[in-house]
Amino acid sequence: MNTSATTQPKQRNDDAAALRKRMGDNLVAIGERKDEAAFADVYSYYAGRVKSFLMGKGMTEEISEELTQEIMITVWRRAESYDPAKAAASTWLFTIARNRRIDYLRGNSRIEVELDDEMLDVDNTESDSQEKYVDDEQAAVRLNEALEKLPHEQRQVMHLSYFRGQSHGAIAKWLDLPIGTVKSRIRLAMQAVRISLQSDGGNL
Amino acid sequence: MSVSHHLTDETLQDYSVGSLSVAMETLVACHLTVCQHCRDRATLADQIGGEMFDQFEAAPMAQTPEQLLKQASLLSGSHAPKVTPQPKRSFKDVPRPLAQFLPAELDELDWRRIAPGIKQINLSEQHRRMGAFKLLHLAPGVVLSAHSHNDRELTYVVKGSYQDEIGRFKAGDIADLDGEVAHQPVVDTDEPCIALIASHSPVKYNGLFGKIMQPFVGI
Repeated sequence: MNTSATTQPKQRNDDAAALRKRMGDNLVAIGERKDEAAFADVYSYYAGRVKSFLMGKGMTEEISEELTQEIMITVWRRAESYDPAKAAASTWLFTIARNRRIDYLRGNSRIEVELDDEMLDVDNTESDSQEKYVDDEQAAVRLNEALEKLPHEQRQVMHLSYFRGQSHGAIAKWLDLPIGTVKSRIRLAMQAVRISLQSDGGNL
Repeated sequence: MSVSHHLTDETLQDYSVGSLSVAMETLVACHLTVCQHCRDRATLADQIGGEMFDQFEAAPMAQTPEQLLKQASLLSGSHAPKVTPQPKRSFKDVPRPLAQFLPAELDELDWRRIAPGIKQINLSEQHRRMGAFKLLHLAPGVVLSAHSHNDRELTYVVKGSYQDEIGRFKAGDIADLDGEVAHQPVVDTDEPCIALIASHSPVKYNGLFGKIMQPFVGI
């Protein structure tokens, strides 16, 4: 496992892009030819992170370990459905881990859009059609930068929401803030990140 | 379907993290079905979740990847769980995330009359304190009591339209309101309005009539 931390932003950005490429390639290799070395690399990097995500969300170490094993087996079995053009490996892992946690907690699956729904509409909104987000190696770099640049109080609520708190209400109680303040910090953080990823906007 | 009212960033983020109720998730997924704009924003929230993995301390794992793969190959034989795909329900004008909660087409449902011009289907067996999850059928001209909410209310317009202080909501639109907003929806065309509603906490009615109505309408 490569854990060497660096404080140089340039270096860190190169790392973010390289990591994204390496993990994406790994998932493709697992999907195409059940590449065990590629799986070992994905496992070494993500399994421990998935586990601490689950523990941060309040699960015991034992259950977190068990669910992480299941999640990693899912990665092994379903990697052929991974499309590197659509999502980063980290995004794919995150959604699998999140969904498995929901399954476990309430015994039914997360309610999601079904992509073969006849009602599925594509590009029908009155909003600005310019607003498209990039999702490639550059995106990993921009996302990283945007998250780093967030004011402390926004980064804190984002972190608590993704990896600690149960809900915005719980975070508000935890930080002893009105819920409206928590929501507006989340909103501002999301906006900042979104602007950084707009195909033209973030490219200053 | 042309959509002009969208989900807020904070609701999409809550959805991405997985801390919404089943009712709220259903409303969000209905709107996402008909709104590419919000689907893109939801994807972005997932991307952030993935990116944050990288800032995480990894917890030590008890098993090596090799051990796990060995286990997986043992499992993949006859012990592998059988997946029987559920037949997918589809009803006219109903996005699939909602269809799974309905027994029949919208016009064949067993609507319960709760007030003049107002019929409903309760989709939740939860206690009222847990919040509402229901489909409302509002006749043309119906005016709901002015009300607000303690936490969050989502309304997805399935059919028809209504108008309130915020704007005009048509099929596919979602009203994503937090506790501070008080509104009074009015069905504004000749067509009945069918709306799906989820809220975390019972609404607060502003007028005396509304307070009397609350036990019956329950929204």
